[in-house]
Amino acid sequence: MNFPIYQVPYLGNGMLIALDAVLHVIISHGLAIGAIALAVLSEYIGMKKSSEEWERFAREFLRFTVIITTGVGATTGVGIWFITSALSPRAIGSMLRVFFWPWFIEWIVFTLEVITVLIYYFTWDRWKAARKSQHIFVGLGYVVFACVSAFLISGILGFMLTPDGWPWDKRLTSALFNLTLLPQFLLRLAISFALGSVFAAAYVLLTKRSVDFRGQALRFFGGVSFVSVCALSINGWWYFRTVPSPFISFSRFSVLTSRFSMTPELLYVVNAIGALVLSLFVFFAFRRSALAARLLVVPALVVSFGFVAEFERIREFIRGPYLMPGYLYANQVLITERTLFEKEGMLTHTPWYKAVAAPGDDITKGALLFAQNCSACHTIGGINDIRERLKGRTEDGIFVILPHTNRMVPYMPPFAGTDEERRTTARFLYQVAQRQIALRAPSRYVPMSGRAGHE
Amino acid sequence: MSDLTDLLLKKPLTDEVLRGLLFVTFALHLLFVLLTIGTAVISFFHFLHALWRNQMQELRWDREILKTFLGHKSLAVVLGVAPLLLIQVGFTVPFFTAVNLFAPFWMLIIPLLIISFLTFDYLGHRVNTRPYAHLVAGTVSLLLLLTVPGIFVAVLMTVEDPGSWVKVIRDGYRLRGDLAFHWLFRYLHVLGAALVFGAVFHYFLTSKEDKEKKHYLMHWLVTGMLLQFVIGALLLSSLPGRPRGMVLAFISMGAMAGVVMLLYVFQKAYGKGSLGMGTTIPLLAVLFVFMLLGRQFIQDLRLLPFQKVLEGNASAYQDKLKPYEGQALSHYLSSLNVSVSSGEWIYQQSCAFCHGENADGKGEEAGNLTVPPEDLTAVRTTRSNLRKIFSEGVGGSAMPYFTVFDREKLESLTDYLHGLYHILDAPGPIPVQISAKAVEEANKQYAGICSGCHGLDGNGTGISRSFKPGPPDFTQYSLTPQRAFTVITNGYPGTMMPPFRTLPEEVRWGLVKVVNDKRKQ
Repeated sequence: MNFPIYQVPYLGNGMLIALDAVLHVIISHGLAIGAIALAVLSEYIGMKKSSEEWERFAREFLRFTVIITTGVGATTGVGIWFITSALSPRAIGSMLRVFFWPWFIEWIVFTLEVITVLIYYFTWDRWKAARKSQHIFVGLGYVVFACVSAFLISGILGFMLTPDGWPWDKRLTSALFNLTLLPQFLLRLAISFALGSVFAAAYVLLTKRSVDFRGQALRFFGGVSFVSVCALSINGWWYFRTVPSPFISFSRFSVLTSRFSMTPELLYVVNAIGALVLSLFVFFAFRRSALAARLLVVPALVVSFGFVAEFERIREFIRGPYLMPGYLYANQVLITERTLFEKEGMLTHTPWYKAVAAPGDDITKGALLFAQNCSACHTIGGINDIRERLKGRTEDGIFVILPHTNRMVPYMPPFAGTDEERRTTARFLYQVAQRQIALRAPSRYVPMSGRAGHE
Repeated sequence: MSDLTDLLLKKPLTDEVLRGLLFVTFALHLLFVLLTIGTAVISFFHFLHALWRNQMQELRWDREILKTFLGHKSLAVVLGVAPLLLIQVGFTVPFFTAVNLFAPFWMLIIPLLIISFLTFDYLGHRVNTRPYAHLVAGTVSLLLLLTVPGIFVAVLMTVEDPGSWVKVIRDGYRLRGDLAFHWLFRYLHVLGAALVFGAVFHYFLTSKEDKEKKHYLMHWLVTGMLLQFVIGALLLSSLPGRPRGMVLAFISMGAMAGVVMLLYVFQKAYGKGSLGMGTTIPLLAVLFVFMLLGRQFIQDLRLLPFQKVLEGNASAYQDKLKPYEGQALSHYLSSLNVSVSSGEWIYQQSCAFCHGENADGKGEEAGNLTVPPEDLTAVRTTRSNLRKIFSEGVGGSAMPYFTVFDREKLESLTDYLHGLYHILDAPGPIPVQISAKAVEEANKQYAGICSGCHGLDGNGTGISRSFKPGPPDFTQYSLTPQRAFTVITNGYPGTMMPPFRTLPEEVRWGLVKVVNDKRKQ
């Protein structure tokens, strides 16, 4: 294909993006939206009650949040983009062409977000007394911009699962205002406030506060948590109801993976325990029981992060074989290219193969076909190791399964290539699974074939 | 690489607008990048200076400067979104290819930034405690921060030079000779600019009326500007190809603005006067804009012709794919309207291409297999044995494991197979009459020959369990008598099971009985 292939050793591409993205979601939702909104609210409460303690808490909580958000939140957000730029260029490039204007507007909104939060942060000590309400107003402005960001990004993420009419009409409006935009946006807002209130309660519990203030604050943030979790449940139900059923069908598997797919009880048990821990934390916070809440605060944070990771995993997994449904498969092959490659071959349409590899070397060909067809998800020797997946299979067995992967396992993209390429790939995979071939540079799929080299 | 193609989706804006926006947004981004680096470098050296002279109270001023780091770096990151978007849309193939060639380094930028941002913000918020901890943290995070523009420069140099890509992927990136000098001067030119911009920013905005600080920053400014002239000249000489036309004009204008500004700063420095904002900022802005225009034109001159080739290839490729569009889209549409949970659907999608639509073992791919797929209508086994096959596959055959489905889905597949083909039933009676003598002979044959692999109990032997594929476990798995008779007579192709057609027919039927009687469940 059109771009060279790089795979992150051991972790695989998907896992690297996932690690970065989950961290980003926790910070961007929990801190950048939830926590800052609650800091603004705390400042407002401080003003209304003329409470020095609420004011001081709001100030300190904001400082913590701003440093983490600008230092880790923004960078991990750009990180998702950086990683996908290097690993799935065709997908991210095509997405940017579809969503150019929303993304350009998003740039303006991002910039306004940063400017307002900086003003809000740096004017805290200066805008006092009569200007206090003006200061709170700036904070509120930030929250509005942050919500606009969440809205635009929900549209783009929604497109990756439910692109509606876009594959046919290629219009931006179909792409952006898709079926899951609204439920996903509301769900993400609810997640933001749920996470934000847990963060706020944790900050109250883990820093030095008076007993009276701690009680007030715990009750308040416990209440916010309760309301947000209710909203989250309703919107979560709405969201998953909107997604087409063939996708939903694999949501359970997406969390269990093939390692635990035969024991689905595990999924329910672990989730129930998590929900219980979180509910107890919220309950004790609301009851102002500082000791019980303090014991549960770290487990509650861990559980919240786990739920975020679980939701993002399901959402990413169930879109299955596509990066852009109705246009591009997860391995960056266009859906129209599949038929072309079956006729004319994938390698003949891969300029990098022609420029770099020695013609006729079957192992290099096999490695390249594997890299282009499979390496978006499968590694050799790392997570989702193809050698484990093919353990015990015969060469003809692999050959037979290759063209049917998409039918057998609907979340896998189809193999795209001629029968001869399919034969070459099957032989390569069989030899790899039998450990007859090793890789010299795993990240680029350069095989050690026993010959002088691949050049 | 003239056979590469641009992306097939249309660019959402014209080339002229795109280049204009790219110029403006890149300038904004670079401005804050320079302020971020400048602030970090100047405050760090000031800290060192104070530490050296043991004037710790001065560190309070360090805090004044470093406090602005939070804003600079936040804006630098967020403003970078637009130029990244524009270059990825306008110069898609060159940019992504270069980034891919530098993949590990490119992705490394993120942790580098996170660590250095957090450390600098930490230092900015709690200066005046343990100075040596600050020294270590400051040194490390400054080094990490200064690595980032180095990576960006190398990536941009690769973006601009499509001719080098094949070499890079074949031999790895080698920074040698002319390339190394060009990289070095370009990198130092960024750092020099950061000093100048950092010094000017803090001169006007954070030193207030403090004469000593202003004096100190004036030093940085003069040093930075002198360095920029030297490095700039070297950079110009290291450019591949002499700058001509517009590029030369822009760079000359920028240099002239630089000379005027240097003279102005010198005059103020010697006259012990202070710089005026109304003169300094416009001069610096003119200098910045012209130099960046020069940079952009150098890049465009190298990339635009290549971009035209890519776009031409893309439209040809688009035409080539056009005929397949209808079919691909209708396939996509049909995939949205299926119920993927039913046992029937799983069978038709995952099993039928080998085992056949009617489960008779005659699927479209059956002919490609050395070990033929089993005729499932003849299989008689247990739910737990099927579960085992689904979760492990059959080693040495084409039969894969199916833990790609969760348990409920596989149970519904089992129900489907049982509903249509009675797969969970008992094997059933032998359809012919066999004499007791034939059964006795069959028992003898089994003990003498068959048990060598199948074991006396029917569940295999030590040796045969290592066969790929191994013999079936008769205590849990049987075939209908007719099918068992066929296998005994003809053997099972591709496995160790030989044909026994030389045995009398009645004995073979006897063997069917012997084997099927071993079922325990």
